Amino acid sequence: MLLTAELVPAITSAGASARVAAHVAPRFRVGDAVLIRNWQPTTHTRLPGYIRGKKGIVEKDYGVFAFPDTHAHGKGEKPQHCYSVRFTARELWGEQASDRDSLRVDVFDDYMDPR
Amino acid sequence: MPNAHKTMPEPDPAIRVRALESLLIEKGLIDPKAIDALVDTYEHKVGPRNGARVMARAWTDPAYKQRLLDDATSAIKEFGFSGLQGEDMVVVENTPEVHNLVVCTLCSCYPWPTLGLPPVWYKSAPYRARAVSDPRGVLDEFGVELPETTEIRVWDTTAELRYLVLPERPAGTEGLSEAQLEALVTRDSMIGVGQPKKSMQS
Amino acid sequence: MNGIHDLGGRHGLGPINPEPNEPVFHAPWEGRAFGLFAATFVFAGYTVDEFRHAIENMDPAHYLESSYYEHWMSAFENLLTKRGIVTREELDAKVAALSKEPN
Repeated sequence: MLLTAELVPAITSAGASARVAAHVAPRFRVGDAVLIRNWQPTTHTRLPGYIRGKKGIVEKDYGVFAFPDTHAHGKGEKPQHCYSVRFTARELWGEQASDRDSLRVDVFDDYMDPR
Repeated sequence: MPNAHKTMPEPDPAIRVRALESLLIEKGLIDPKAIDALVDTYEHKVGPRNGARVMARAWTDPAYKQRLLDDATSAIKEFGFSGLQGEDMVVVENTPEVHNLVVCTLCSCYPWPTLGLPPVWYKSAPYRARAVSDPRGVLDEFGVELPETTEIRVWDTTAELRYLVLPERPAGTEGLSEAQLEALVTRDSMIGVGQPKKSMQS
Repeated sequence: MNGIHDLGGRHGLGPINPEPNEPVFHAPWEGRAFGLFAATFVFAGYTVDEFRHAIENMDPAHYLESSYYEHWMSAFENLLTKRGIVTREELDAKVAALSKEPN
């Protein structure tokens, strides 16, 4: 396909959502306590190293999206739930961190285990 | 050593871009007018004034604010703002107890339809490294002071959701129109590294 | 991958130094690089994830020292040569030719 100037407004206003209209069961529910897996691929992932092995709480289920780890390498969308997971600052950064501040990271189903 | 083939220093980026663009045009694969249109769109047509309109509406219309917090994508689309890098939106609200800060530690994810393209600092290593681990230090660098009792909540944009902060409406703005309120909403306040302007004079 | 791009929590990277009132594009070439994403995305068959991974595979020192749209150029060259849409020889030849032009 050739992108022409005439097509630009339609493309920019439609975008390209990564949501997948598939019925995939979530492994977690809001309020679940989770442990981030020690997942260390040499290939693409959206699991940042600083949450690996850390404990969090599921705050929100955003629904089903394409999984970047496979989608980056021509291995398909592997659609799964993506969650907002809450971590305390101290859990991630140690006892010197604020005891009040927190982080939210968007975490795919495949990145976590229940605890 | 990574990239062992890279024995030559890289050419001037302007030449590098011209080289690739001209090759692709010669091969009939791209139309340079499309690139012109994209540049024009993001230089002139899409920018933080879009987000400011959304926030000013949320400040003045409680029902809209609730729609924005419940389903930001649809609420933002009511203004006609949608599309690339804003397909799945989340708006998070600042309160006297909670201050939100948005980052993409892994790259540069940013809500283009409401804020335009991200500034260099947002995409660079220092902000990406420190926003998650030292948010108060980062806010200090931006001149934002928060009470010790405020919870700072940092949102790392690791997936395809895109985040916007709904700043607190400044005190003493009860008499202002929606258009006047829009002028107080800064881009930095919608990322979380700034507060809205206090008055038209500032 | 545990690449240089995975920056959350790192120390020693210096001050943020925000530029006040910065332009959307700091030079025309940045705008062209920006536009090349959509223009190539529609025919080359890569995903946004693959594009990001191409950037993650940059030389780590170069990643930290180069500007943002230079990252995009590295990714385009990586993805398009991998797919045989352009060759490294074609790119080098074109760069050499353009470098000779008086500007």
